[in-house]
Amino acid sequence: AAAGLYPCRTLLAHRAGALRALCGSVRGLAVGPDTHFGFQTVTEAERREKIYQVFESVAKKYDIMNDSMTLGIHRVWKDILVHKMNPSPGTLLLDVAGGTGDIAFRFINYVRSVRERQLQRKLKHHQSLTWQEISESYQEDKSKSLGDSQVVVCDINKEMLKVGKQKAQYLGYSEGLSWVLGNAEELPFDDDKFDVYTIAFGIRNVTRIDLALEEAYRVLKPGGRFLCLEFSHVSNPLLSRLYDLYSFQVIPVLGEVIAGDWKSYQYLVESIRRFPPQEELKAMIEDAGFFKVDYQNINSGIVAIHSGFKL
Amino acid sequence: VRCQLSLPQRALQASAVLRRVSDEQKEPLSSSSQQQFDSHPTDQQPDKEPQGPRPSYTGQGGQESEDYESEEQLQHRILTAALEFVPEHGWTAEAIAEGAKTLGLSGAAAGMFHSDGSELILHFVSQCNAKLSELLEQEQKRVQLGEAEKKPTDQFLKDAVEARLRMLIPYIDKWPQAVSILLLPHNIPSSLNLLTSMIDEIWHYAGDQSTDFNWYTRRAVLTGIYNTTELVMMQDSSPDFEDTWRFLENRVADAMNMGNTANQVQSTGEAVVQGLMGAAVTVSNAETSSAVR
Repeated sequence: AAAGLYPCRTLLAHRAGALRALCGSVRGLAVGPDTHFGFQTVTEAERREKIYQVFESVAKKYDIMNDSMTLGIHRVWKDILVHKMNPSPGTLLLDVAGGTGDIAFRFINYVRSVRERQLQRKLKHHQSLTWQEISESYQEDKSKSLGDSQVVVCDINKEMLKVGKQKAQYLGYSEGLSWVLGNAEELPFDDDKFDVYTIAFGIRNVTRIDLALEEAYRVLKPGGRFLCLEFSHVSNPLLSRLYDLYSFQVIPVLGEVIAGDWKSYQYLVESIRRFPPQEELKAMIEDAGFFKVDYQNINSGIVAIHSGFKL
Repeated sequence: VRCQLSLPQRALQASAVLRRVSDEQKEPLSSSSQQQFDSHPTDQQPDKEPQGPRPSYTGQGGQESEDYESEEQLQHRILTAALEFVPEHGWTAEAIAEGAKTLGLSGAAAGMFHSDGSELILHFVSQCNAKLSELLEQEQKRVQLGEAEKKPTDQFLKDAVEARLRMLIPYIDKWPQAVSILLLPHNIPSSLNLLTSMIDEIWHYAGDQSTDFNWYTRRAVLTGIYNTTELVMMQDSSPDFEDTWRFLENRVADAMNMGNTANQVQSTGEAVVQGLMGAAVTVSNAETSSAVR
């Protein structure tokens, strides 16, 4: 976890920052060690609280803001993530920080279409069926359209889960979906349970990333896959300048206009800058015990998908 | 590219998986695995130590301590297990996922491989090539020990190609799909490599010791024979593929004749040239004598 004490652009929290810096390194004290909140320095406890408040306030406008900030491209990123996952029917997915359910819905759609294709292929092979067999196969369709796949959406924020459940109802997703309130650093699940663990645009908001990664390792089955979709660092200097310009000048303004919340979106763009770059995150994932860790840059580094296996 | 299949050493996860694997271990090369086991540098002790939490000193990138199975070996095991699902699912990530499940891993482990199933096919091909080398070597040993007669070249080639192609029979329905995937640009280097080394092997055991241009012609000819026979096999519906083997025999016979024909053409050519030279000399002599007169 980053004990962020970067001097430049640090706005010291307005509460006895110096005193905290003294006892900040000692763990177990009520105040807790220091970390970053955007470009501010705060304690870990404070950070968790602030982030909770951020998402509580943006929950209702979360999807609209995503669309306007990324000009809808975030949908493509999430599609790429699910395609990379390539889930087969029967997969158990845990979507952490899944909030409004974007990844979960895409997963369900994907698995449904794979299942349909499988059934079509099976029917093609059976050349001469009796009427009995044909009617049985139709019944099978209705009950197993997902083929026993399931997705559990876990989020620490009640508001985000509420919005997610409403969306699911509105879009008509009911089976194979469950919503759990939980903290990524301390998941309320048993060991060795899930086939795939995803965290899309959520790990940036976790205060102790190493704990979250260890929890991910714990709840995955042997052979299970860890997938992380997150904003990352752009290496191309020209693009990086344009991206910075867009991030700091346009996004907070959009936040104020659309969601009435400048500060939250200022936090968003700052937290992207504070997040470890691709190679560092890869090292952290390896430290948690994952093998074959790799990352794929999308849009030359604006977004990156990290993947690892529990072997 | 030959696949060194070794007996599973230590699984990376809890020993529950390893136990399951060694119970249902059905090595296709059980006779040869002994030989490979001896030559394999990282031999393991057969007893299992209790698997605690993974020690943090094991580096990534295949540099684990010798007590642990490397990622590559695990991948080989998964691919081998996936082969039995190919007739049902084809050469796809689904077959690999099913294979991983039989090893006690989650189906998501198939994400380690390319989603078009290339690695599965390449693994299968290199496995077949390894089996073929096995067979050829054993046959050579038998000849050396005097237990069997040395076959004439055309018989040897025919038998070797037939043995290799018979390995495709369990998967023949989905083999056209495999061939098309092997021809994808990103697979061509590996598949070509495997093909040429297999042809090389066959010629080596056939006793080819040429060091001149013949080396290339022989390999090109045999590659042609192998590929065409493979194509014939894919659409052959005769019992036990007898049409294919007959086709193979004819092609090998053609190739042998080609060698003789080449010699004949050469000697005929020489004779023709001599005749022309003689005619030219006669004509020029006749002209000179008429000019003199």
